[in-house]
Amino acid sequence: MAENNEERVLSRRNIESPWAVGWRRFKKNRIALLGAIFLLIFVFLAIFAPYLTPHSPTRADFLKRNEAPSSEHWLGTDEMGRDILTRTLHGGRISLSVGLVSVSITMFIALILGSIAGYAGGFTDTIIMRLADIFLSFPFLILAITASALLGPSIYNVMIILGVISWPGPCRLLRAEFLKLKSQDFIQAAVALGGGHRRIVLIHLLPNAIPPLLVAATLGVASAIIGEAGLSFLGLGVPPPAPSWGNMLNSARALHIMEGMPWMWLPPGIAIFLAVLSINFLGDGLRDALDPKQEG
Amino acid sequence: MMTYLIRRVLFQGVPVLIGFTFLVFLMINFAPGDPVTHLRGVPDLDPRVIEDRKTQLGLDRPLVVRYFDWVGELLQGNLGRSFDSARRPVADLIRERLPVTILLSVSSIIIGWGIGIPVGIYSARRQYTLSDYSITFLAFVGVSVPNFFFGMVLLYIFALILNVLPAGGYFSPGEEFSFLGMLSYLVMPAFTLGLASIASITRYMRSSLLEVIRQDYLRTARAKGLRERVVIYKHALRNALIPILTLMGFMVPIIFSGAVITEQVFSWPGLGRMVIDATHQRNYPVMMGINLMFGILTFLGNVVADVAYAIADPRIRYD
Repeated sequence: MAENNEERVLSRRNIESPWAVGWRRFKKNRIALLGAIFLLIFVFLAIFAPYLTPHSPTRADFLKRNEAPSSEHWLGTDEMGRDILTRTLHGGRISLSVGLVSVSITMFIALILGSIAGYAGGFTDTIIMRLADIFLSFPFLILAITASALLGPSIYNVMIILGVISWPGPCRLLRAEFLKLKSQDFIQAAVALGGGHRRIVLIHLLPNAIPPLLVAATLGVASAIIGEAGLSFLGLGVPPPAPSWGNMLNSARALHIMEGMPWMWLPPGIAIFLAVLSINFLGDGLRDALDPKQEG
Repeated sequence: MMTYLIRRVLFQGVPVLIGFTFLVFLMINFAPGDPVTHLRGVPDLDPRVIEDRKTQLGLDRPLVVRYFDWVGELLQGNLGRSFDSARRPVADLIRERLPVTILLSVSSIIIGWGIGIPVGIYSARRQYTLSDYSITFLAFVGVSVPNFFFGMVLLYIFALILNVLPAGGYFSPGEEFSFLGMLSYLVMPAFTLGLASIASITRYMRSSLLEVIRQDYLRTARAKGLRERVVIYKHALRNALIPILTLMGFMVPIIFSGAVITEQVFSWPGLGRMVIDATHQRNYPVMMGINLMFGILTFLGNVVADVAYAIADPRIRYD
């Protein structure tokens, strides 16, 4: 009896938790690590944006309009004399906060509807999944444009719109995960032991469905950033004078600016690209690391 | 296969389309400002006048009744009239713009598939080589560049610096139509819109082929002494392409979303530009008409993908 206990303690110590396995695999993925580091830099720049440059992101200075990059304005100024570097850094705050908030909204809806659909099954499941189909049959951006026209452009509306219309993807994912888990022995055992619905969903099903959802959430931040930039680029997202990467690109769309003053549109464009690329690398690395089908 | 398709369209497609029209209808009705709003601002107006006007316009009837009326009009092709001064029927406006958007979308799909599939095959056949890594990396870059920025970069290089392509637009009035002329207008928008498709099809094609290559029947084919080319292109590719076909259905709405932005960058006179202009003017009938049109196009795109899938995969017939 005592020996058995000791053995159990020892073996318990040797079992790696799924998260530890994931971390071990993630560390080996150099490109995903690079993505994570880049993303941390972006977060750092966004948080400390007000302290990194001496200029204001919104105050116009009409004596310094359309200036080329110089030692005072590293990336030049825009048509209202505002410092491009400062605006790009502040644009990161908007992009990252829109990304995080809208993905949180998406995940909140997906967690509730996906759990209900996957656990309840039957008619409830059919209704929720058809609802998801309806949302998916709308081209994403056109739905966002229409919603933004009805609600009016503001950063909060952008967060809500992008958050609400993205729910079908993660919802389907969670439902599929639930269906897969529900037929497994440990769930049958939990049911047989008299576990209630709440216990089974919250303790047994959800924690096991988290890894794929985490990947979807990471990649969701990237698409929300692109979504915000796209809406703002069309003049239907974050309204000026607040600096968003999308509306900076929008205000530099005139051909004479594009041709003669590339410092106005290259920095925000490159910023979107790098932010999205690093999040995609991170998300892909997470998928490789957390996917239990890939051993090794 | 026919029964499969009919079932797919009737029991999945039609309910989705009905729900879709309902969603569009709700959005029109929750839009700020209804046809009697301007009356509310009139001082000393008897509230009964507003009520009478509402009855006259049919706004007092229950939402569901109005929905069915509206759908009845839709089925007769009546989408209402544009709010702007010309008051033209929305259906006519859409009919004029639709071919231009279809031209752009179909070209970008052809570019996406035409480049993505061969590059994906190439990458899979050279798994873990430098060219495979470079292609995988470039595919990541391709899905991460927002298409409006990519479009601006193309515009900057080819229209403004090199000056070899027109900086957007379509045939200007008086310009004679020619195939080469059309290509010169089309090439940049089509590549801008196609970039994301090229990148994602490359990634899917690569992983799909790698999955198939591991299977036993391919080992058998090689053991029979078949040439590598036959093994890959005749035996492996056919099965590897099946999941790519399902991707087509998913990609249709993404292409249309991209078209809206691409048309804006290149002043391409299609539905996407029209919906943005209509949105800025709060021209609700036009907005809703185009929303519906995109919904129907997405639905048709999905049907095409389903047909292609059913033809490619014989197992579907027993479904």
